[in-house]
Order: sequence, then C-alpha cells, then structure tokens
Amino acid sequence: MKTMLNSALKSAVVALSLLCLPVVAHAQDALESITKAGVLKVAVPQDFPPFGSVGPDMKPRGYDIDMAELIAKGLGVKTELVPVTSANRIPYLTTGKVDLVISSLGKNPDREKVIDFSLPYAPFYNGVFGPEGLSISGPEQLAGKVVGVTRGSIEDLELTKVAPATADVKRYEDNNGTISAFLSGQVELVATGNVVAAAILEKNPPKKPLLKFLIKNSPNYVGINKGETALTEKVNAIITAARADGSLDAISKTWLGAPLPASF
Amino acid sequence: MVEFAFSDIVWNLLLALRWTALLSVVAFIGGGAVGLLVLLARLSSRRWLRRLTRGYIEVFQGTPLLMQLFLTFFGLSLVGLDVPAWLAAGLALTLFTSAFLAEIWRGCVEAVPRGQWEASSSLALTYLEQMRWVILPQALRLAVAPTIGFSVQVVKGTAVTSIIGFVELTKAGTMITNATFQPFLVYGLVALFYFLLCFPLSLCAKSLERKFHAAR
Amino acid sequence: MAYQFDFSSLSGYGDLLAKGAGLTVSLTVVGGLAGVAIGIAGAWARSRPVPVLAPVVAAYVEVIRNTPFLVQLFFLFFGLPALGIKLGEFQAAALAMVVNLGAYSTEIIRAGVQSIPRGQIEAAMSLAMTPLQIFRHVVLIPALKKIWPALSSQVVIVMLGSSVCSQIAAEELTFAANFIQSRNFRAFEVYFVVTALYLALSILLRWLLSRLGQALFERRRHG
Repeated sequence: MKTMLNSALKSAVVALSLLCLPVVAHAQDALESITKAGVLKVAVPQDFPPFGSVGPDMKPRGYDIDMAELIAKGLGVKTELVPVTSANRIPYLTTGKVDLVISSLGKNPDREKVIDFSLPYAPFYNGVFGPEGLSISGPEQLAGKVVGVTRGSIEDLELTKVAPATADVKRYEDNNGTISAFLSGQVELVATGNVVAAAILEKNPPKKPLLKFLIKNSPNYVGINKGETALTEKVNAIITAARADGSLDAISKTWLGAPLPASF
Repeated sequence: MVEFAFSDIVWNLLLALRWTALLSVVAFIGGGAVGLLVLLARLSSRRWLRRLTRGYIEVFQGTPLLMQLFLTFFGLSLVGLDVPAWLAAGLALTLFTSAFLAEIWRGCVEAVPRGQWEASSSLALTYLEQMRWVILPQALRLAVAPTIGFSVQVVKGTAVTSIIGFVELTKAGTMITNATFQPFLVYGLVALFYFLLCFPLSLCAKSLERKFHAAR
Repeated sequence: MAYQFDFSSLSGYGDLLAKGAGLTVSLTVVGGLAGVAIGIAGAWARSRPVPVLAPVVAAYVEVIRNTPFLVQLFFLFFGLPALGIKLGEFQAAALAMVVNLGAYSTEIIRAGVQSIPRGQIEAAMSLAMTPLQIFRHVVLIPALKKIWPALSSQVVIVMLGSSVCSQIAAEELTFAANFIQSRNFRAFEVYFVVTALYLALSILLRWLLSRLGQALFERRRHG
C-alpha cells in the first residue's frame, strides 16, 4: 500500500511538473502530418448559422464547412469535421486535436498572440437589428439601450469597440440565446449577421428584427497553430486561388445570399 | 435556414439520448467501483490516507464538472497524452461520481452502530474482513436508495460532456434550436426526455427507501 | 510547436473575475436562503394530509428534480416573458436557483422530519403545544440538525450549478471565464484560475455552513 502511494505521489509530481514545462505536442510539421495521414481535421461551428449549423441529419453545414472542404481539396486530402463551440474551439487547436479552426474567427491582437490567422476567407455582414419604431441609426445612439449579442463572435468584438459605455450589452452563449432574448423581449436590439436576421424574418415572428445600421465589415479568418508556416502559406495560397477562380464567390452566394463584396 | 420536421427533431433527440444513457451507465459503474476504493481509504485507520481522500473528495465535489471535463480532456493533451473524447469523458465522470458516492456511502457506513465494529474486531477480523463481512452488508441496505437517487444527478450531469464534443441530449437540443429557432418546442422535448429517463429512477429510489424503512 | 502558459494574460481581467465571483456568491446567498425556506414550507406541507397541497408539492419536487437546471433556467428567462412576466438575468437566475434548491431541500428536510420518532410528537401534543409550535420545536429543529450535512452539500451543488447561468448572460464566474477566453483565447489559464476560485468558494461555503450548523444546533442540545 505504502509503495503504491509513493509511486502515485511520484507520478503526480511528474504530471504537475510536466504541466509547467512548455510541452512539445506537435513535433512534426503540421502540413507534413496532414498529407501523410490524408486527413485534415477541422474545427467547425454547429451553433452559428449560416456559417455552421446542423441539418436534419445532424451533420454540420454552412459557409465554414464548405470552406473546410475547399481547403481539404486544395491539399488533396479528406476532411474530418469536428463540431466545436466558442468555448472549446481554441483548445481543440492548441492541443493538436484539430489542424485548423474554421469557425468564423475574428482577429484581435490578444488572439494573435495565441494562434496564427490566414488571409480572410469570408466577409461578415453584421448589423444592429431592432423592432420597427425604434429609431437608431448609429452606434452612439445605443447609449442606454439593451443590446444582445453572441459572446466571442465577430459582432461581439466589433460592437464592444463601437458601443458607448452606457449601452447595456448582454452576451449570450450562442445565436439561439441571442435570438430568444430578442424575441422574448429581454433585449431591445441584437447585433448579428444579415443572414441570421433574414432567417428570423422568414419565420414571421411578432417582433421583427429590422436593420438599424451596419457594424464595421470585419472578415473571418482560418485559425492555425503558431509556427506552422508551411501550413499557413498553403492555406493562404488556396484561399487566394479560390478568390480568383470564383469558388469562394459561389460559397458566399450559397450561404450569405450575396456575392463577395468588391473590396474583399 | 434548414427545415426540420417534428419527427426529425424527436428522432435526433432520441439518437442523442443514447449517449446520455451510455455515459450515465459508464459513469455509474466506473464511479461505483472507484467510489468503493475511495470509501475504504476514507474510512481507513491511517490518517494520511483519510486526509488524502478527503482532499480528493473536496476537489471533485468542490469544482464544476464542466471544468473537470475540460481540464481532463485538453489538459491530458497538453502533457502529451492524446486520449479520445470517450475516454476523457468516462474518466472525468467516473472521478466525479466516485467522490459523491464515497461520501454518500460513508454516511451509510457511519450509521452502522459502533458496537458492530467492536464486536467484529474482537473476533480478530482484519479491517478488510470487517468491512466485507460485517459493516458493508449492513450499510448496503441503507445505501441502495440514496445511491439510486444520486444516479439521477449523474444522468443530468452528463449534459456537460458537450464541452469535449459529445452530442448528448442537451447538446442535440441546442444544435437543433440553433438551426430551427424553436427553443420552446425543442427544450420542452429535452426536458420531457430527461424526465422520462430520471423519473423511473427516482420512483425506484423512493420505493426502496420505503421498503427499508418499513423493514427497520 | 508548444503551448506556452501565460497567466499574465489575465492581468487586466482581475476586476471581471472578482465581479463574477461576487455575482456567484450573491446568487448562492439568495438561492440558499430562499430555497431552504421553501424547503421547510414544502416539507411542512408534505408532512400533513392536506388534500391539494401535498400532491402539488410532490409534483413540483419531482418535476424539478428530474429535469436539468439549464432547461428550468431557459423556461424562466425566455418563457415567462410570453406570460407578461419579464425577469432580468439576475432575477431569473436567482429564481431558478431558489426553485431548484427549494425542491431538493423539500425532499431532504422531509426525510429529516420523517425520522423524528412519533413518540416525540405525541409527547409534545400532551403538553398542549400548538401544531405550529410542535412543528417548529419538536420536529423541524431536530430534523434540520440531522440533515444539515446533506443540506449543506446541496447548497454547494447549487452554487456550482449556478455556472450555467452564464448562458442567459448573467455575468457570474463562468461568464467571466468565457468572456475572457473569447477575447484572449487563453482558455487553459482562465479555466485553471476559475476552477481554483470555485474550489475556494465551495470550501469556504462548506466551512461557513458547518459553523452555522454548530451555532444553530449545538447549544440546543444542552438547553
């Protein structure tokens, strides 16, 4: 019994000290191991339409999923889609459980310290939406208003930048929380994507989300582990090619209902 | 958006229910086995062993299961152990369940009258023999009802495994609501399915409790 | 490539974590006090053969105990506005905790009440005590003393359960964690710290409850 405990203690100490060391999780170059395995593991959203949500078969579909397929095709490998949430998408990447995160990631300086970003692959049409009769035409008019947004999303990052300090921003776990909060009257306004607002309008709810103003158009990026230069370059090359040959435009038309903006 | 028929919603929730059930069973069996070991250590006459298990129980009862799962799954990867999600979920749920079961069972063991210990030690039984032949059989009778009662908590606790990628009942509900924007219908069904899974367990615990009360 | 821990990335977020922990504590205090009060009332209602009340309480207890807290929370927050009752996220979260703990503590306290020997109550009746006096002095206090550890554990469980309130944008400790990691992508660092905070809170809560139990019940033993 005593020796058992001793060895248990020892392994605990070893485990703890390992935690404190910089751990070498991916000794191999990521691009090399992807090609070797023939599989590209991609973290995709499943609670964030139109970028990723599920169909009746519970399989993810959306802009980000098509993007994953496009990059895998460019690499000549198959995809393995890993559905993630905003809470766990980065740990999936940093612990090497996936090779790429294509999950409507926005960029900020803090985030860039942790992972690398590709070239932008999708435009993001974000706006602040509210019911008829509420007259709001710019961020400064959000003062004193209650605005719902999905936590960690691009619209959250952008809204936080432009909203005045007196705006009461409520951050929900996923789109569903944000939308439910709007429809149930918990918030007066929501910041979300055009397509999401359109989808709600289609259901003809008693409370209609109408566009009040557009938030800065900030694009989505593919997330890649730090230092994987070869993979980043390859992904960038695939994105550039897809922009040139129109395949990215096609994805945009399918899921966002509009071609890529000229400035993109 | 995508069109889900009512039958699609029910069917997909039922498919996800399998994970909820499977994870519950794994947690309960694993947690029961480990819990028994923890119980023995917790009741040991060695002080350091009691302290160690107290710390173990404190940690697993005192932190959210969500964090335990997260740190197990992703933390093990950081130290170079790439465990699959089912193993991490099974491990974390087992540890969590064992801490609670060990505490529940300790209460039951302590309810066994002191004289039983004294009598059995006067028969020169070792600690493990005392446990095996005298104390546990009596404690077991007291333990059945609260143990089954706790299984309801385990069933509901499996919901947080979605943080490491399991699409169990709650997660499936969230995913479907995000595609259909019908939270009331979907979460109503989710609640109903949990109830159908848990209520029989609760009833069973109750009737056993009554039975043992009557026997006493 | 290796993951480098960087706890200094949390330095700017101390206030947010403190505020989050503060809200978790407030939710727990409100939920604990009101929840146990409901539990006492519920146990009382179930201890007597009132035709309507007892089954209603029984149904409440079963529905709450056999469905997930998250779903209960969603119904209170998103569902009640349809009936014209709009609760803010703190009120909805606190109410959900009260309702939830109320159901569990009804069951726990009822078990304590049942363990009071019949003879005690009969003796009290022969002393011409009123039913309420009997319930309070002869039944409730000894019952609470008996089940105090179980009740304390349940309060800790509810405190930890409050972490899902982040889903309705209540800015408690888990909300703070998820907010921070959505900005700086440092999930490990944040979750380590928050897990430690939860552990500290629950050790503190357990200690306080056990002191409270001593203060409430120990003196009476000799009195």
